[in-house]
Amino acid sequence: MESAVLSVGIDIGTSTTQLVLTRLTIQNKASSFSVPSIVISKKEIIYQSGIIFTPLLDGYTIDYSRIAQFVSQEYLKAGIDRQTIQMGAIIITGETARKENAERVIQTLSHDAGDFVVATAGPDLEGILAAKGAGAGKYSKEKKVPVINLDIGGGTTNLAALDGDQVLDTACFDVGGRLIRINPTSLEVSYIAPKIKHLIHQLNLGLLEGSVLQSAEQLNPIIDVLVHVLENSVGIGERNPFFDLFITNHDFSKLNPSLIRSITFSGGVADCMAQDDPQNPFGYGDIGLLLGRKLRESLIFEHKTVVHSRETIRATVVGAGSYSVTVSGSTISYTQNVLPIRNIPVLHLAVENAKLDTDRLAARIKNQLEIFRIHGVLSNVAIYITGLNSPSFAQLQSCARGIRLGAEELIKKGVPLIVVTNEDVAKALGHSLFTYLPRKYPYVCIDRIRAASGDYIDIGEPVAHTAVLPVSVKTLLFN
Amino acid sequence: MEKENEQILSDISQINMREQLLVPNPNNREGYMKIKSFTPARLGLWRCGPRYKTQSILRFRADHAAAQDSVFSYVNPELIKVMQFIAIQTFCQSKDEYLTRPDLGRRFSKENEEKIKQQITGHPKIQLVVGDGLSSAAIEANIKEIIPSIKQGLNYYGLDCEKHIFVKYCRVGVMDQVGEITDADVVCMLIGERPGLATAQSMSAYIAYRPTMGMPEMRRTVVSNIHAQGIPPVEAGAYISELLYKMLNYKKSGLDLKAVENGN
Repeated sequence: MESAVLSVGIDIGTSTTQLVLTRLTIQNKASSFSVPSIVISKKEIIYQSGIIFTPLLDGYTIDYSRIAQFVSQEYLKAGIDRQTIQMGAIIITGETARKENAERVIQTLSHDAGDFVVATAGPDLEGILAAKGAGAGKYSKEKKVPVINLDIGGGTTNLAALDGDQVLDTACFDVGGRLIRINPTSLEVSYIAPKIKHLIHQLNLGLLEGSVLQSAEQLNPIIDVLVHVLENSVGIGERNPFFDLFITNHDFSKLNPSLIRSITFSGGVADCMAQDDPQNPFGYGDIGLLLGRKLRESLIFEHKTVVHSRETIRATVVGAGSYSVTVSGSTISYTQNVLPIRNIPVLHLAVENAKLDTDRLAARIKNQLEIFRIHGVLSNVAIYITGLNSPSFAQLQSCARGIRLGAEELIKKGVPLIVVTNEDVAKALGHSLFTYLPRKYPYVCIDRIRAASGDYIDIGEPVAHTAVLPVSVKTLLFN
Repeated sequence: MEKENEQILSDISQINMREQLLVPNPNNREGYMKIKSFTPARLGLWRCGPRYKTQSILRFRADHAAAQDSVFSYVNPELIKVMQFIAIQTFCQSKDEYLTRPDLGRRFSKENEEKIKQQITGHPKIQLVVGDGLSSAAIEANIKEIIPSIKQGLNYYGLDCEKHIFVKYCRVGVMDQVGEITDADVVCMLIGERPGLATAQSMSAYIAYRPTMGMPEMRRTVVSNIHAQGIPPVEAGAYISELLYKMLNYKKSGLDLKAVENGN
C-alpha cells in the first residue's frame, strides 16, 4: 500500500521568503505477514515559488497580510487547494525571527497554510533543514560518511554535521553575503552589520555607511577574516582572533569538525561560489559574490572533499517541506479526539530497564516538570523516554506507573498525557498507561522518535490509510 | 591483547558480535562498525591464510549448538506450572518423531481432547495456545512477557482471555484442532520459530478466526520475529491484542482480514 501526502515548506528568512510544495510517498516497507513498518519512501518537489523579499511593515514588524497573500497566490499558481495540504513546516529565521510579531506570524500562518503545518524557528534547526534540503544527509547515507553542510545566507552561516539521518552537531556564525550592502553603480556603502562595524574598527579600515568604495579590493581584509572564520568553523587552520566575535550562538561542541572530510555548501552564497568572475562584483548589491569567490579559493577546497549539493538558495525551504515532518512507529496507542497536538515542549528522561523504579521515575518527572512552570503555571509537556530496550512486562508497568504518578499535576489539570519513546514499545506502554490512568483519560503514546530536551513536538492526525501519526520534532526560538 | 589473555571467558557467545571487529588495523573502523550495526551477519571476521580464525570457528559452532539445543530441549515444566497452562501433547512421542513426522505434530489424541474439554467450557472468544515448536528457548525467553501484555491489551479493548493451553511437540496446525474442540472465535498460537545462527529465541504468533482442520493457510495471520532484538515481546503482545480485537470485529483473519482493512 502506498499513499501520497502533499507537504508545504515555507521559509521566511532575513532577506527572502519562499515556498515549495512536496509530494511525500508513504509506504509500508514490511511484508504483509509482519508488523507494519511505515516510512516516507519518496520526496518529490512538485512546485517551487518565486523568491520574494520578506515583507516588513517597518524595522520591527513583519507584514503578515502580504505573507498570507503570497502563500495564497502561490497555491493558486500551483493549482493546489489548501485543503489538500496535509503537512509541512514554516521556518522563520535570522533577523526575521527577532521581529516583534515573529511568533504570532508563524503560529497564525501555520494554522492557515494547511492541515498539519508546524511552526518552527531557531538557527540550529535551520542548519539541519538546510543540510537535509541540500542533500547532505542523502550523500552521507549513500557513502556512509559524515558530512558538514554550510548554509551561507544573507546574515548567517548555519552549519550542521549529519551522519545519515542522524544530526551529530550544529553551529552558527554571523557570516553572510548581505552583511555589507553596496550600491552596484555608485559603489556607495549603504549598510554595515554591527559585528562587521566592530571588525572594521579593530582593523582600522575607516569604512563607514555612506563611504564610496574605490575598488572591491578595499574589502579584502574583511572578506579574508570571514573566510578564515569559516575555515576555522570546519576545523581548518589557526584560530582567527575574531572567531569568537562571529559565533551566533555556538560553534561545534559535540564533535571535532576536522575529522569530517566531506563538505557541502548551500544558501545564496553557494550560488555565488559557482559564478565565474562576474562583470560586476557587486551585481547583487552586497558582498555575496566576493565572499563566494574567496571561499572557492579557500583552504576548505584544499583540505576537504567538497560535494555538489542538490539545492543551494532553496535548501532551507526544501528541507522544511520534505524533512521537518516524520512518521511515528506503526504500533502506537492514543485515545479519540486528542490530536493534533502542537508546540509541546519535550521533557527527556533516559532510563535503564534494570533500574526502573516507579517512585524514582515519578520523582524525576516531578522534578523536571518544574522547569516548565512559568509564573506558577505548569504548561503541558511531552514526556520523552529513552532506553526502554525490550523491557520486561514488570519493568513496563513500573514505567507506566512512574509516569502516571510523576504527571499527577498535569492529570489533575485534565490536559492530555503525551508520552513519546525512542524504542519500539509505545503500544504496550500506551495499554499500560490506560490501565493506570483515570477512566477515559485522554492520552497519546508514540514511538520511534528522536528528540532532546529543549525541542518542541507536534503530533498530527493519522496519515491516510495507515496507523502512523505525522510528527515534527523542532525548535521554537525567538530571540 | 595481553590483558584479554589473562582473563577467562566462560562462554564465547557472551561476546556481542556486532561490537566485535577482528580486522587488524582497519582503514575505517567507524565505517565498518556502522555496516555491522545494520546486520547480525558475521562481518569483519578476518582470516588466517585462507581459513577463518579459531575464534570465529568456535563462535560459529557455539551458535550452531545453541540452535540445536533449542530444538532438542524441552520447555521447563516449572514454567508450565507457574503459568498455569493446561499441558497436552501431540501424537509425537520423542523429538526424533517430532522432527521426522510433521503430520503427527499437528494432531492430538482423544484423551488430550477430553483434558481440554474438561477445563475449557462455554466457547471462549479468544483461546491462547503455547507450543514449543522448534525452539523451547523462544518460549522460555518470551512467554512471561508476552501473555500479560496481550491480556493488558485485551483489557484496553474490553476483552480478556484465560486458561491457556501448552502443547508439547507442537506444530502450527494444532491450533485448528484446538479451535474445533473449544469452539473459540479466535485462536492465537504462540510457537517457537526454527532457530537460526543469529538468535534461538525468536517466537511467532499464528492467529486465525474460527480455524478448522484442513483450512487453507491463507486464513492465518502471522506475527513473526518476536524476541528482544526483533519485535520486543511486550510490544508484540500489544499488537496481537489489537489483531485479536479486529478479527472478532470483522470475523476474519489472514488475507481476508488484510483485504477488509485495505478496502476501508
